[in-house]
Amino acid sequence: MSVLAAEIRGTGAVALEVSMRAEPGITVVFGPSGAGKSTLLKTILGAIRPTSGRVALGERVLFDSERGIDVPIRRRRIGVVFQDAEPFPHLDARANVAFGVRSGDRAQRADSWLSRVGGSALAAKRGSVLSGGERQRIALARALAAEPEVLLLDEPLSGLELASREQVGALLLTLRRESRIPFVLVTHDPREALRLGDRLVYLERGRVVAEGTPAELLAPGGAAAHAAGSTNWLRAVVLESGGDEARVDLGGTVVVTAPLSAPPGTVVDLALPAEEPILARGEVSGVSARNSLPGIVSSLTERDGIVSVIVATPVPLRVHVTPESARDLELAPRVKVIVLVKATAFRP
Amino acid sequence: MIAAALSLSVRVAIVATILVTIAGTLTGRVLARRAFRGREVVETLLTLPLVLPPTVTGYALLVVLGRSGLGLPIPFTWLACVVAAAVMSFPLMHRAARVAFEELDPRHTLTAASLGASRLRSFFSIELPLARRGLAAGIALAFARGLGEFGATLLLAGNIPGRTQTLPLAVYEASLTGENRAALVLCLLLTGVSIAVLLLVARLGRSR
Repeated sequence: MSVLAAEIRGTGAVALEVSMRAEPGITVVFGPSGAGKSTLLKTILGAIRPTSGRVALGERVLFDSERGIDVPIRRRRIGVVFQDAEPFPHLDARANVAFGVRSGDRAQRADSWLSRVGGSALAAKRGSVLSGGERQRIALARALAAEPEVLLLDEPLSGLELASREQVGALLLTLRRESRIPFVLVTHDPREALRLGDRLVYLERGRVVAEGTPAELLAPGGAAAHAAGSTNWLRAVVLESGGDEARVDLGGTVVVTAPLSAPPGTVVDLALPAEEPILARGEVSGVSARNSLPGIVSSLTERDGIVSVIVATPVPLRVHVTPESARDLELAPRVKVIVLVKATAFRP
Repeated sequence: MIAAALSLSVRVAIVATILVTIAGTLTGRVLARRAFRGREVVETLLTLPLVLPPTVTGYALLVVLGRSGLGLPIPFTWLACVVAAAVMSFPLMHRAARVAFEELDPRHTLTAASLGASRLRSFFSIELPLARRGLAAGIALAFARGLGEFGATLLLAGNIPGRTQTLPLAVYEASLTGENRAALVLCLLLTGVSIAVLLLVARLGRSR
């Protein structure tokens, strides 16, 4: 079992000062653009030399400025999949995957990896004719076929259309389950972070601001929430999904949503735009909203003419209101409110 | 006269192109991907024959290779034609190769390295195939330039019919001695080859 440990100081386009660990599973490096996420990845890969620091994979030291160690990329055993990862365009998919196979029957190994990523039908296709989703499948197979000890993924889903983003995301989760190496995935998309990440490292201006589970860091009021924008990113367990409505548990708050395709017991990610919920100071009757959640205001911040209210229901929810509403309702920390949310406002 | 000049020219152009292809690909690759001090100085020196008067280049080669310099038995032999053609067409190959390697997506070479490929393997199985169109265009241009080389050849190889008289030199002699028909035939021949090469280069550029 390999664990990636990196302590990196560098003065590139983005000045990095990062200390992070990645264990088997998916570690998401999340942050706004310009935070140094890709620079960090390239530094771990060995394509950028840090000013000082140490990078190790288990017992194996890949870089150590004090001891003068700098293992070349080809001996690091680090797999990499770039955004819009293009397979080598002049080779067919099988030759692409076979390129890094280290031992045994290369074509046979390549075929077995192609089938694991659902790409058997692509074996004879040239890299240059593959679609976005197909490219990522081939790039994943190519990287893993070389038996790396860590896999780096730089925004692997960003360039994809919605349908292939779903499929490649599901494939990544499958590969993670079957693999015993750390995956380090860079993204600026909170939904991707929430869906794929076991751990989240939140980066801002080249520094690690927070570490934890994606759900806790991306939750309203969490350390990475403001980078996630005005949407509430919620991880929920399905309680009931049949019939005209579904019920899910947000982790202490049970809500009603529109019907979900996921069966009870599964985990789904829901997005609730902060503009959707309505705040009330007391019980309201005769409204269509299916969720009436009592809660306590935990914080208010005003920016650009919008007041962002975080209400503990107890699961924190971010609600945007105008300054006038905030004054009329006399909103302040510790005030009791009711959060009204339509079932259809929770978007899977 | 025409047959001898044509056969010599083709032979010279082929040998020169082979030399230039290897050298230009290497220098183009090095200057495209390696940052080192004095890179632009090296680049200037390598492309100098492109702007110098060919006679100056030819004279310089004569001084360096001849009795006053290295004393090699090259001047006024068919090898001198090869050297002149190679030196004059080298900048075209070098520049085409440099551009072709600069345009490669560096992520391909990074990926190849991450898959355990040595520099040599990455160069031959990834970079060369991906740069092949630009390199082929450079080879075609270098061949055409070598075939048409005149000034440097005249100074380094002279104009010895049957030994160092290439097509362009034969044109020169034919026009001087008033053999207008021969001159015309030779001109058409060279023009035809040049048009074919330019069309080929344009096609390589288009289907990129």
